[in-house]
Amino acid sequence: MSYFDLLRLAWPEASIVLTALVVLAIGLTNRGTRPAITLLAMVGIALAIKNVLRLPHDAILFNGMLVISPLTSLFKIVSLALAFFTVALAQSESSLRHYAEYIAILLLACVGLMLLVGSEELLTIFIGLELLGLSLYVLTAFDKIDIYSAEAGLKYFLFGSTASAFTLFGISLVYGMAGSTSLAVLAQKLSVTNAQPLLAAGIVMTLIGFAFKIAAAPFHLWAPDVYQGAPIPSAAFIASGSKVASFVVLGKILLVGFDSARGSSDWHAMIAGWSPIISLLAAMSILLGNFVALAQTNVRRLLAYSAVAHGGYTLLGLLAGDRDGFSATLFYTTIYALTLLGAFGVIALVRRETGGDDLQNFAGLGQRSPLLAVCMSIFLLSLAGLPPLAGFFGKFYLFSSAFRAGANHGLLWLVALALFGSLISLYYYLIVLKVIFLDERSTTATAPAARPMLVEVATGVLAALVLLFGVDPSGLVARIVAALA
Amino acid sequence: MSLHPYFEIVVFVGVALIFPVMPLILAWMWRRFFQPPKPGAAKNATYECGMESLGEAQIQFRSQYYLYAIIFLIFDVEAVFLVPFAVAFTGLPVGAFLSILVFLLLLIEGLVWAWGKGCLNWAK
Repeated sequence: MSYFDLLRLAWPEASIVLTALVVLAIGLTNRGTRPAITLLAMVGIALAIKNVLRLPHDAILFNGMLVISPLTSLFKIVSLALAFFTVALAQSESSLRHYAEYIAILLLACVGLMLLVGSEELLTIFIGLELLGLSLYVLTAFDKIDIYSAEAGLKYFLFGSTASAFTLFGISLVYGMAGSTSLAVLAQKLSVTNAQPLLAAGIVMTLIGFAFKIAAAPFHLWAPDVYQGAPIPSAAFIASGSKVASFVVLGKILLVGFDSARGSSDWHAMIAGWSPIISLLAAMSILLGNFVALAQTNVRRLLAYSAVAHGGYTLLGLLAGDRDGFSATLFYTTIYALTLLGAFGVIALVRRETGGDDLQNFAGLGQRSPLLAVCMSIFLLSLAGLPPLAGFFGKFYLFSSAFRAGANHGLLWLVALALFGSLISLYYYLIVLKVIFLDERSTTATAPAARPMLVEVATGVLAALVLLFGVDPSGLVARIVAALA
Repeated sequence: MSLHPYFEIVVFVGVALIFPVMPLILAWMWRRFFQPPKPGAAKNATYECGMESLGEAQIQFRSQYYLYAIIFLIFDVEAVFLVPFAVAFTGLPVGAFLSILVFLLLLIEGLVWAWGKGCLNWAK
């Protein structure tokens, strides 16, 4: 294995790093205007997508530290696409005073995502997790003047570093048991060892870092503050990119690495393993997320609690555990990421015009800008899971795969809980829509400034995608299923 | 008679405890029984290598210094990676040389960026 092969296989990541460096350098010169930097970053990301498409079909480097497979390529493209839309959102965000640095760190976070999805080895996964985490802490606290941004950044950092420490300790315990950090070798070794208490501790601790990243209760405490306080593009990227990559890698770790320690979470036959733990996380997330979201008056905070609930739904696919379940998880989290990016796009536009993102700031949006209001209703109804939007198919796929899994419909209790949660969530999404379409326009709204084109276009494209994947999900599902084969 | 293999360590720990604790006990006993109680300004002063101490110990210092500390970290990390590279230099292929150059490029860009942003100017 020569260095040139390595460079060839890691070229998408390397090209994004190069783009970040060029963006930083351009930002120092007086040519570093916002449009120029945005264009540069977008071209860099587009080129990286092209590079991913030109990767070989299958390759494994250094015991799985860098893996190229249809699955990793697909989710590298998804990560890059999410970063692309985030750059579009960032372009008109007035709170970002050091724009070039912001975009450079965003690109580095994107490299973290690509490392996460493109690795099947615990140490590289941890490095990806840290690169992503450190970048996101900075992105969260980027608006130095806003105290909410600073508070969110500090909370995210403190929770995140503690969770990482637990994960690293868990990884070290698992390594001590198995003697290898490669997921494939791990699966082999763990299947012949008896489940010992030490292994259980290792698995639980490893899971904590991922539960933190996907904001599953009770590791969700950072999410509301970060979603509300961070600059909008950062919050959008945390809600979308970080979550997708975490689910991909969590699925790989659970279903490949720890497969032999699965246990069972069937209600009539619980067996110790990671499955009961994950099912507990899922149940708590669904209940807590949905009930607390009912009481929110700030739209970003509401989306944060609904994100906790959606994290819970998405875990159902991993509990189902077969190929169908994993592909349902991947489909749902991808759709969810696109939807949330779009919703944050609408919030960015509303905040720009009314100076806030509380519920009353959305009053009269239906009269002020009907198109934007329609986009927001597409996103919210997709989150609630109404047909014909993508969220409906995603939920259907997820719940049906969980329903069929296990002997005797053992996961029925969780599916019922998730359906109950979806029912509750419909209420608070509809409250937002009621404010948008029925409430009178508040008097505090200032004169509408010129809308930034890029954000509008990005939001429109995302709404179209959500509609498209709802009407015809077969393309994406077929791709994911083929990638998992 | 064979001693336990860890016996030497126990002895070691005992000696390590006795050496610091004994002088402390002796000093305490000397103070308790022989020292006349005559406090004075010079006697109560903080011992600073024979110099008279100036001002309070709890002072405010300029936090701008943290920027220099962070930038110093760049070179600190650089040394950690460059020293093993230099030791093994003769046995390494061209690819390794190129990748260490990439690493240096990353650090240099960091320094150039910090310089260009004015982080090296002392903020008043």
